[in-house]
Amino acid sequence: MSRRKTSGARQAGQDENPTNTRHKLAGTVMSGADMVVQILADQGVDTLFGYSGGAILPTYDAVFRYNEANPRRRINLLVPATEQGAGFMAAGYARSTGKVGVFLVTSGPGATNCVTPIRDCQADSVPVVLICGQVPRAAMGTDAFQEAPIFNIMSSCAKHVFLLTDETKVEVTLRTAFEIARSGRPGPVVVDIPRDVQLSQGIFQGEGLLRLRGYDERSAAQARTRLEPAPAKAFFDMLANSERPLLYVGGGVPNADAAPELRRFAQRFGIPAVTTLMGIGAIDTTSELSMHMLGMHGAAYANYAVEDCDFLFAVGSRFDDRVAGKVADFAHGAKIAHLDIDASEIEKVKRVDWAYVSDAKRGLAELLDAGKSFHKDFGPWREHVATLKRDHPMGFNSDGERIQSEFVLQQLNKITKGEAIVTTGVGQHQMWAAQYLDFKHSRSWITSGSMGTMGFGLPAAIGAQLANPGKLVIDVDGDGSIRMNVGELEMLTTYDIPVKVLLLNNNGDGMVRQWQDLFYANRYSGSDKTLHKKDFVKAAEADGFGFARRVTDKKKLAAALRAFVEFEGPALLEVMVDQNAHVYPMIGPGMAYKDMLTGKFIPSRRPVRAKKETGGGYF
Amino acid sequence: MKEMPKHTISILVENEFGVLSRVAGMFSGRGYNIESLSVAETLDPSVSRITLTVRGDTSVLVQVTKQLHKMVSVIRVVDFGQGESVERELALVKVAFNEATRAEVMNIVNIFRAKVVDVGAGVCIIETTGAEDKINAMVRLLRPLGIMEIARTGSAALYRAERLLAEAQEPTRADASSDENAA
Repeated sequence: MSRRKTSGARQAGQDENPTNTRHKLAGTVMSGADMVVQILADQGVDTLFGYSGGAILPTYDAVFRYNEANPRRRINLLVPATEQGAGFMAAGYARSTGKVGVFLVTSGPGATNCVTPIRDCQADSVPVVLICGQVPRAAMGTDAFQEAPIFNIMSSCAKHVFLLTDETKVEVTLRTAFEIARSGRPGPVVVDIPRDVQLSQGIFQGEGLLRLRGYDERSAAQARTRLEPAPAKAFFDMLANSERPLLYVGGGVPNADAAPELRRFAQRFGIPAVTTLMGIGAIDTTSELSMHMLGMHGAAYANYAVEDCDFLFAVGSRFDDRVAGKVADFAHGAKIAHLDIDASEIEKVKRVDWAYVSDAKRGLAELLDAGKSFHKDFGPWREHVATLKRDHPMGFNSDGERIQSEFVLQQLNKITKGEAIVTTGVGQHQMWAAQYLDFKHSRSWITSGSMGTMGFGLPAAIGAQLANPGKLVIDVDGDGSIRMNVGELEMLTTYDIPVKVLLLNNNGDGMVRQWQDLFYANRYSGSDKTLHKKDFVKAAEADGFGFARRVTDKKKLAAALRAFVEFEGPALLEVMVDQNAHVYPMIGPGMAYKDMLTGKFIPSRRPVRAKKETGGGYF
Repeated sequence: MKEMPKHTISILVENEFGVLSRVAGMFSGRGYNIESLSVAETLDPSVSRITLTVRGDTSVLVQVTKQLHKMVSVIRVVDFGQGESVERELALVKVAFNEATRAEVMNIVNIFRAKVVDVGAGVCIIETTGAEDKINAMVRLLRPLGIMEIARTGSAALYRAERLLAEAQEPTRADASSDENAA
């Protein structure tokens, strides 16, 4: 529809034809499978992750034939150990670039293995398209071999799902899937294609999208929306009336590629910024205005800044329970403004004094424009937060024989200096990486934030490396997390992907252990892996790694890290770390910021003792 | 726990399979039971209208309707405020009667402006339309006389006067309170 073309609400396809130019293949008769692959090519897809199987074979064959016919515009197909790996590779590709990541799997178990990455992408707003084979239409609903009700299963976790039962709509559906994935608040789109639809023949049109009246209209309306003078004035009145403003920056900023606007905004008005786990990298963590991560395991000074501020400006963030803790007490007494692309996030958790629904990039640019003549010096407040930073710095046990994870990451940071792309698994190592590593660039910190999916780090690093050849990509992982997708180690050597895997091995699930220490009287139910026999170095060697080392001696760490980072190909460095370490600071689940525990090595401004978890606590 | 307020929510959606289950999933995912439901195509056969009633905390349902409003296949959503809409349900009630009760059954049919649409030996089917309360009242009176079976539809609902769902802008209910931190 022409309306869609002129709406401007969606980004143009990466390879879209200018209006009135016919696709060079328009009018050609081709199979559904060939159309799928042609749309991938038209969308600029250069990398495809996936695992084959009966119901998707026609499309795998079409990829092969496409590459044979187009040797200069090949779509690289990478085959992981499991489909979940494919999903996180596509996610790593998408998160590190903003481009749509694509994975292609078969029906039944192939598709159900993708439920976790799809939900993960939905929870962190990551644009991916999953194409799955389905049993032929006539067999659907008969409990056929490798059949699963993917439409129903994925409906509850994806941004949108298509079941392609109409063979005349293959082309428009695929094209629309990409549009939906990347437009508005990005997210995962699933296209389930029965095998006989892949085999059906039709005439390729080379253009067209499905009609989505509500979605298109809302996108167009949002594209037309401008920040009106009255709300702009209200915003700057609030800012003028505040003495202690603070930016609270979430994943919506990197997602909208709004880091330049955010940095300009912070600089222009002189406002310090805390970031959520997902917002890390939105502001250069080495810059003066960066107050680092807030929340459950945020820096003490970041959380104190939240307690002390009188105006909190939430940009692309959503008052998640890991951030807000006890909601009523969060930023208590501060005026709150909220800029978010998703209207349903406004006042979902916390009442706000000002809200504007827009993507972060445009919203911040409009505010910068509207505030051209604004002037107020927040110097005393900046001095206050600088004092907080100085008086309550991050800290850990730097004595003793045992290697602390924080020490490892601090050493790594001296080498990478905020320039590397870092992915993580989930748990203590993830929090420490968020706390101790610097990020100068947006989209260089890649982690499973909302879902908290263990096993994310390695496949995500593979996707990020393929999307960013020549860049240093490090998977900071834990022994529990990496086990979940350890099969993907082989990918690094098979395809010569120079990802560096830094494995912080504490013999178990450290974050679970920490909660068991704090709330369950040290009963390590199911979290201790001391008796596990896995030798990760041998495993890497078995997969053909040219660099696989273990460090147990603190004195040898710095040299090993340097050799590891400088190694040309894929490398694994396992560091044996203290099993009993805890991540601090910590605001217990459902607790208020005033209840923050800072442990022995971070100076607190008030002493707090851990409370046992009660029935009323938030998980 | 006090009874939660009832909400009547109308949704215009693309008329395609799977939309109903996704809409329903938005409620079941939060543990809400849909009390009644009706779905049919509209003047434009490519658009369906779903009307459902659900009991729940108003601020949570505001959240649900906002989320419905961002679903790709959803065109419009409204949670009708008090008195904003006309709502009707239809019920078919199979009633057993005998010489002694026949007059009473007919009496109730007349009072409620219902009609008898099928009669057999000692059994009739009564059709009635009306707001939920009216149908409940009729059922209450017929029950002691011998209801054998009942089939009720969900609500159909339209804005009063000239307002149209297709022109509704925001999904938020007018009387919605956003009490802080209710969740």
